[in-house]
Amino acid sequence: MRVLHLLINGDRVTVAAPEHWTLLEVLRYELGLTGSKQGCDKGDCGACTVLVDGKPVLACLTLAALCEERAVTTIEGLLPAHVKSGGSGPDPVQAAFDECGALQCGFCQPGMMLSARALLDRNACPTRTEIQDALAGNLCRCTGYTQIVEAVELAVAKHCGVAPRRPGSARPRGRSRPPPRRA
Amino acid sequence: MAARDQHGIGAPWGDAAAGDPANRAFQVVGKPHRKIDGLAKATGRAQYADDLVLPGMLHAKTLRSPHAHAMIVAIDASKAKALPGVHAVITGADLPIKYGVIPWTQDEHALALDKVRFIGDEVAAVAAIDEDTANAALKLIRVEYEPLHAFLDPRESLARPEPKIHEESKTGNVSKHVDLAFGDVDAALASAEVVVEGDYVFHGTTHAAIEPHCAVAQFSAEGRLTVWSSTQITHYVHRALAKVLELPIQKIRVVQPALGGAFGGKSDPFSLEFCVAKLAMFTGRPVKMLYTREEVFYCHRGRHPMKLRYRTAASKDGKIDAVDAKILIDGGSYSSFGLVTTYYSGQLLTGPYHFPTYRFDSTRVFTNKPPCGPKRGHGSVQPRFAFEVQLDELAEKLALDPIELRRRNFQGDFTRTVNGQRITSNGFLACLDEVERASGWRARRAKLGRGRGLGVAGSMYISGTNYPVYPNKMPQAGIQLAVERSGRVTVFTGSNDIGQGSNSMVAYVVAEELGMDVADIRVVAADTDLVPVDLGAYSSRVTFMVGNATIDAARKLRTQIAGAVAKEWQIDAARVRMGNGKVFDLDSTERCITTAEAFQIAEARCDTLGATGSYNTPTLGGDYRGGTIGASPAYSFTAHVVEASVDVETGRITCHKVWIAHDCGRALNPMLVAGQMEGSAYMGIAEALLEDHGVNRFGLHAGPSLLDYRIPTSVDTPELRR
Amino acid sequence: MKSFTLFNPKSLGDAVGALAAPTSSVKVLAGGQDLLTEMKEHLVEPDKLVNLKGVPGLDRIEFTAAGACTIGALVTVGALEEHAGVRERLRVLAEAAGSVGSPQIRSVGTVGGNLCQRPRCWYYRSEHAKCLKKGGDECFSFSGQNKYNAILGGGPSYIVHPSDLAPALVALGATVTLKCSTGERQVALERFFTLPGEGDIRRETVLRDDEVLTHVHVPAPAAGMQSTYVKFRERGSYDFALASVALALWRDGARVKEARVVLGGVAPIPWRAKAAEAALAGAAFEAATFARAADGAVQGAEGFGQNDYKIPLTKGLVQRALQSCG
Repeated sequence: MRVLHLLINGDRVTVAAPEHWTLLEVLRYELGLTGSKQGCDKGDCGACTVLVDGKPVLACLTLAALCEERAVTTIEGLLPAHVKSGGSGPDPVQAAFDECGALQCGFCQPGMMLSARALLDRNACPTRTEIQDALAGNLCRCTGYTQIVEAVELAVAKHCGVAPRRPGSARPRGRSRPPPRRA
Repeated sequence: MAARDQHGIGAPWGDAAAGDPANRAFQVVGKPHRKIDGLAKATGRAQYADDLVLPGMLHAKTLRSPHAHAMIVAIDASKAKALPGVHAVITGADLPIKYGVIPWTQDEHALALDKVRFIGDEVAAVAAIDEDTANAALKLIRVEYEPLHAFLDPRESLARPEPKIHEESKTGNVSKHVDLAFGDVDAALASAEVVVEGDYVFHGTTHAAIEPHCAVAQFSAEGRLTVWSSTQITHYVHRALAKVLELPIQKIRVVQPALGGAFGGKSDPFSLEFCVAKLAMFTGRPVKMLYTREEVFYCHRGRHPMKLRYRTAASKDGKIDAVDAKILIDGGSYSSFGLVTTYYSGQLLTGPYHFPTYRFDSTRVFTNKPPCGPKRGHGSVQPRFAFEVQLDELAEKLALDPIELRRRNFQGDFTRTVNGQRITSNGFLACLDEVERASGWRARRAKLGRGRGLGVAGSMYISGTNYPVYPNKMPQAGIQLAVERSGRVTVFTGSNDIGQGSNSMVAYVVAEELGMDVADIRVVAADTDLVPVDLGAYSSRVTFMVGNATIDAARKLRTQIAGAVAKEWQIDAARVRMGNGKVFDLDSTERCITTAEAFQIAEARCDTLGATGSYNTPTLGGDYRGGTIGASPAYSFTAHVVEASVDVETGRITCHKVWIAHDCGRALNPMLVAGQMEGSAYMGIAEALLEDHGVNRFGLHAGPSLLDYRIPTSVDTPELRR
Repeated sequence: MKSFTLFNPKSLGDAVGALAAPTSSVKVLAGGQDLLTEMKEHLVEPDKLVNLKGVPGLDRIEFTAAGACTIGALVTVGALEEHAGVRERLRVLAEAAGSVGSPQIRSVGTVGGNLCQRPRCWYYRSEHAKCLKKGGDECFSFSGQNKYNAILGGGPSYIVHPSDLAPALVALGATVTLKCSTGERQVALERFFTLPGEGDIRRETVLRDDEVLTHVHVPAPAAGMQSTYVKFRERGSYDFALASVALALWRDGARVKEARVVLGGVAPIPWRAKAAEAALAGAAFEAATFARAADGAVQGAEGFGQNDYKIPLTKGLVQRALQSCG
């Protein structure tokens, strides 16, 4: 066992956990923060994505002991942070996912939304391609990603003061993805 | 009375033909709405099975077979039992009763009784204080196996009846054979102007829901068992637990927490549900089992690999005269839904095109591979693939436009298929028109340069099966509504929300019928102690069947409330309308009260308010053995156009864009329907281009991980236009 | 995952000290994006992990005035991808870094870890298959599932090296510093990797258990270098290369002066395609030369069934890489 001093969603917390536990295990099983999901436990799906010092990382492939003194943000932290910074209700990314029908089973979405949040924090007005690239480490099996990308675009539109499209309508024309950057 | 037979012809509800005139101007239905659990999921608050923690809970793990086919000679678990922290070890002898989702083909044991049938078959389970201890205990269990010949090729299973994979089989290694003919196919083939024939192969694919299977059980001092499980068929799990555990069913409670995707992959009772229950009973403590991703690949129940041979006869103008199919289905090691799959492989092909004559001969065999079962579009996707390719070959032979060929063979609406299924409304032509227009088909087809082109396919699917998997005359779907005088209605439904949004759907329906705000509806779902039975989320049945049951209940409640308010106002009940959270007098709209006030009036006059509703199917299907399989009260139709290219240097096939049109009847929430259309198109593309659920020459799964089993990422998914 | 003790040295000396004469199995932990998956699959079960994260000075990218670059082993793949100097001067390396894994893996995975990662052959990764790499006596891929296996340099094991950075760095002529408690050595990256037929079949590199890879050194490229990394994979994210080409090219007008062609995903090591380089050296920069180079790249290549496609694929990628320098 090891005593860990962690900074989770802005709170300093001290927990004792086995040395080999990952951040995901500590979040889910020690701290009860079950919003971070385990989809594969091998870094292949992205459902456990959390932000460590603002960067999306796989909590299942991160030893909790290596996260001491680093700022960890989980899905549970988004709404309180938004409220604390003067907003009301959920983070705009969460609200947009809800509004666009991007949440089907919802299991991949905490990780997906954190990847989106990290993108918007470093690039407030990303293009569709940049959004797709930023979400390329989060597998979703329900949606085909369309409504997810639309949701991030809606959050961007609201942030940038552009009139958002009505959710559920056909996607705008003329903004299709350029050919993939690969062989 | 159940809403039986009310929805036979015409759209199920809301249309002038069948609906209540008062209901024609929809307030909720047909508009995009948020899901009632959207923000719970968006904020991480929704609880999935593995999010549950009970005091004193133990963690369980499963020991699995390393052999594809072997007898179990002996199991010695004494060392595992002696390991500190281990509370119980169970083996097949502790759960000897067979189960299976289809009552006639129950061939599964929670833990192998005397033989194992694939690499990954369950052999023993351990409950311990934590997962690490449970895993350590698994390594201490000694199992002595006597390997048998492993069948990995379905052709071999067909040819060679011994050794039998299931000893009790009377048909060697054949799981199910169906041979049905409608009309004189041979004569039509002999006299046809054109015949095309070909062989097609559809490989295995799996669901790969992002949430792995998980179950938690608690056995109370009163002898009551509760199982929380990531299932899409609470009711069938309920029944199976009672059977296998030999417990009175009323002492068992099955709860489906929030579910992280299913696609048919959670529509069988699974070993872990029985194991956690038994371990909880043995230890007196709550027990959880969470499958690893690797184990999810072993439990599989995914798309059956099929080898298909089709012959299609047609006239020179492209009208189909006959279709003749011979299909070999690789079932894997257990029956699962395989009996149905075998029928579906033939029965569901008979639309949206008119077949004057039709014959299919489908054989499902057992092999020593992970068991196949129902995956999205169960049993129909593989034949559909083969037949649509054959239609293209026919079009080419006749120099006809592929869309034109499909139009010419449109079966029409309000008709019967060659195999006796009743078709009501049929929007297939409109779907074809839409994808033809949207894709610029006429201007662009065959003009995109070498290696790039457009393709079309059509399809039809059921909206639920007409018959439950176990014969009974009770409703397929039941609903209860409880009314609170504050103006809130709670819907109790047995249906399983697997992400498709069925909990939201029932709320929309109640809100529409009672003129309420969706936010004032609560939904309690999929908890067998609290809700009426629904058969589960499979066969695209929920919106149709549970939706109709909800309408039934809501209308009864509306009648009650309107009647009470009418009496209060001393007017005719027909004048009382509910809408926008208000109840008003149609002839004098300034007379208006809130829904809550109306509830209070009704409660005062009628006592505590509530209503039940049901849906059951009319009698349908062909009058022959198996004629009811594939019968559905309504069918949906679809057409897709895909733009794809092949890179001749690297061999890469790229799907650039998909145009989707779907006739699903009235879209209760177009945003959720769009999500289903996009999600299914994405899954179909993935099956065609990326995914392969195969085994190696020893029967070992070839890559049981989400790295090796390639499901598309956001940068692999083409533009999907609906 | 089996439990272990975690050692957090504050200096490189302490780190390599912990590796010297270990009394139990020790592994070096950097980003952990490969090591933790191996531990979860019980392929390695160390008693002790030496965490390099607290060791100062290993997370920097430094260019000399002359253009030589030193990359600390703990630099993340994402940081490498985003580094302005690397993007500008060592394009092949930035492109290779951008093609690694997923955004999450790039933000944690390190350069050192990427070079030292273990094979991705699913026989190797499966607990159920005791293959040659794990002390068994058969490479199951040879007569089994071999879609992803080697067409060059294979035998008796047919794994492919999964790294994207390695071909790029070999093309750039990089060397690595390997440090142990008694000293350090510089090894050309090309000789860092070992074929299964020539060294310890259970390893892919010459790195000893008592050593840590601390730095990668990229010499200043000769003036006028054009470079690119072309990776072919089934998905646009996550996937390792089915085949990839790292190309560094120097031209003199319409002729090729010199070229380095290194293949990924097709051999147990980053494969220096010397016949392709020879076909290019001094030849006209034109399609016919590209075709000869492509033929040269797969000289001696042999498929054994499901991986046959890699031969034409590799040829196509070599030509594509060359075309992109036009």
